[in-house]
Amino acid sequence: MSQVAIVGGGPWGIALARAAARTGASVIHYTRRETKESRLVELTSSLETAARAKLIVLAVPSQVAREVARGLGDHVDGSHMIVHGVRGLDPEGLQTISDIVREETPVRRLGALGGPVQAAELHHGTASAIVVGSPYPEVIRAVTSGFSGPWLRVFSTNDLRGLEWASALVGCVSLGVGFAESAGAGPGLLAALIARAMHDAGRIAALAGAEEQTIYGLGGYGDLLASIALEKRPEVVVGRVLAQGRSVAEAIAEAELRVEAIELIPRLCDFARSHGLKAPAFDGLARMLEGQPGEDILGRFFQV
Amino acid sequence: MDQSAPIFGFNSAREGLVREVVDRVTESTSDPLFYLNDAAYFEIRRLESARRKKDRERYAEWQKLARTLGRMSPSERTEKLRELAKTYAWDVAGNFNPKVYGVSTRLVPGLVTGLLAPRTLATMVQNPAELLSLDALDDKVVVEGPFEQLQRLARRGTLVFVPTHLSNMDSIVFGYALERAGLPPATYGAGKNLFTNPVLSFFMHNLGAYRVDRRLRHELYKDVLKAYSCVLLEHGYHSLFFPGGTRSRSGGVERRLKLGLVGSAIEAYARTVRAGRERRVFFVPATINYLITLEAETLIADYLAETGKSRYIIEDDESSRLGRMVAFIRKLLGMEGSVVIRFGKPIDPFGNSVDEEGESHDARGRVVDPSSYVRDEQGKVVLDAARDAQYTRELGTRICADYLRETVVMSTHLVATVAFARLRKASPRPDLFTVLRQRDSVVVPRDELAAEVRELRDTLLDMEKRGEIRCGEFVRAASGGDIVERALRAFAGYHTTPVLSPREDGIAITDPKLLYYYQNRLAGHGVAWDTLGGPARTTKLDAAAPSLGGLR
Repeated sequence: MSQVAIVGGGPWGIALARAAARTGASVIHYTRRETKESRLVELTSSLETAARAKLIVLAVPSQVAREVARGLGDHVDGSHMIVHGVRGLDPEGLQTISDIVREETPVRRLGALGGPVQAAELHHGTASAIVVGSPYPEVIRAVTSGFSGPWLRVFSTNDLRGLEWASALVGCVSLGVGFAESAGAGPGLLAALIARAMHDAGRIAALAGAEEQTIYGLGGYGDLLASIALEKRPEVVVGRVLAQGRSVAEAIAEAELRVEAIELIPRLCDFARSHGLKAPAFDGLARMLEGQPGEDILGRFFQV
Repeated sequence: MDQSAPIFGFNSAREGLVREVVDRVTESTSDPLFYLNDAAYFEIRRLESARRKKDRERYAEWQKLARTLGRMSPSERTEKLRELAKTYAWDVAGNFNPKVYGVSTRLVPGLVTGLLAPRTLATMVQNPAELLSLDALDDKVVVEGPFEQLQRLARRGTLVFVPTHLSNMDSIVFGYALERAGLPPATYGAGKNLFTNPVLSFFMHNLGAYRVDRRLRHELYKDVLKAYSCVLLEHGYHSLFFPGGTRSRSGGVERRLKLGLVGSAIEAYARTVRAGRERRVFFVPATINYLITLEAETLIADYLAETGKSRYIIEDDESSRLGRMVAFIRKLLGMEGSVVIRFGKPIDPFGNSVDEEGESHDARGRVVDPSSYVRDEQGKVVLDAARDAQYTRELGTRICADYLRETVVMSTHLVATVAFARLRKASPRPDLFTVLRQRDSVVVPRDELAAEVRELRDTLLDMEKRGEIRCGEFVRAASGGDIVERALRAFAGYHTTPVLSPREDGIAITDPKLLYYYQNRLAGHGVAWDTLGGPARTTKLDAAAPSLGGLR
């Protein structure tokens, strides 16, 4: 029987803990929040206890990932595996979360979760698909045995960096989709925007050392299709609010959750530009955040 | 000198080591038929157009083997495999002659004399005292690094030296550096072609080098080689790998490493842990820095012709021409600090730093048990090639980053960088090949060159403070003009065309290719024009992008 620790008490952490428990894995759930007793998982507020499991899944907001990793680093060694389900990049140095975990812990066997699966699906055990990315086959094996079942298919890639970048880039594109829909783009224009934006995303990721193909797979396109199908996806909400001519601050307030894509979009545009890469769709996203009206951005999009 | 290192008992241990290699290769092969077919395929292809009688015979043997393989019984195949593995293992295994070692260490300067007049080599071994005294080289060749720590680690575990590679002189120069640092000699794999040079061959053969025949491309040979290296490491033989795989053609610091042998060190470590006799492995990145490079002309021409792949084995470069070697060594002896070997800080196979006592520390300074990296979820030590391959890749990235930090800037690199930037500015088009054609068209006034050299030197000093590079002794303190003079002196008289020529109106750029070669040393640091491709400064992604010129 495999043992898994989930670190993070938010909806995503709870969903992952339930999903692992469903496979019969013994689950240690680290959370600092008040949570109701569970028969299936062992709750703890000690990272040391969490480190009893050799497979540790980080499910915390990206802005606290470094701090949590540092705390965890005191209790783990080279035999642990740390996999994170954190969407986002450090906006300053464009480091991925696994880069951060590597800096903060002695662990080398790292991985990430991504793909289309939604917290609600994991929570309730409705069928879905998740992607694990790691250059270490052992990590892929451990995640597969800890999470897969008739209700959850675990796909894998060894392109860890690609999967992490895919998740972050999809967040940015989702924002654009919310915006375009609200600004009145028809299905044809919307499809064109999505395809062009994902094309940019692929090339940006390649520049960062990822495999372009990963962006077009389940961890990128797959994730995007799931995101935009959700009414309340925070990125989509932000896009929608901006299209109504309201400010970024208002959009953030309405989304209720931190939307990393807002900081990330201008950084990615700089990154692409400094490497001589043209990313017109991402430039469009940046203009959107600057408050340009929807019809201007959409109308100009295909002008030569 | 500490003579307790295993290498001193190599000759008596050799037969046992070879047996271990043969057993391991034979036992780990689940499909002898595949291995034999693969070997036959590559050997037949290699030998089909051979002319020499011996090669024709081998060709016929391989053809016969290929024809009869299908009819062989499984045990016959295994036997054949063992036989071949044994032949290869003996071919690879080197020799270590403590007498030659004892003499040559007191006497690598003697070696240098030997190179000047190879016929004295024989007498030199018999009568070392007649040769140049050690002091003669002391101030010419600078050796730096955490010697005491490395000496201690050499007694506690196995050291794996992984230096940058520019020249066929490197293995000899590095052997000398080990002695100067008070470290035991290291065994290493040297291309078989090097053994054809009588001078190099004599020393390499007797100083523990093993032979790597790069013409053999099949899996069986590669496995023998890896197993040999692995077995040596398990037995505690300190080793030297040039992870660049071949001399840097461009003159640039290595960015991509060939990791096969580096990976064998990780496997060796895991095997000692599994056998319950853990022997820690400490990697020591190092840089070998030359004021001028013996083979610069051939290497850069080769790089530019982009035939580096097809001419993987260069047999007709400066290192095989005695006259060039003599000129080179005269040059080297004529200038102080003309070679700097710098040992970097040791790291464990998983990229952790290692302290004075050999303990590993993670990036946050916590002590970490290296054996935990080769254990599975249940705590059992497992050998896992896929896992180790990834550890190796990550280690390679780390080593490349250390190379940049430990690069020692010399006057020639600095002046070449400044002059090449001038040339680039004066070029009608910005692509590399146009710039390289600007022969003898640019003259830089001396004071302008000196001022720009000084400016760049100050930038480099700031980088040195941040730990990003090292400045050579002379570069650190001299005036811009003196740095230029020293570079001119170094360039003059060795290279067939002068790289820079002093004129009345200033310094003329007369060999852009060599200038390019020497400036490439600083390309990875973001100060010289970077046309080399591949990852350079990739720790953070916010570094400004290198623009790719004419090259890929």
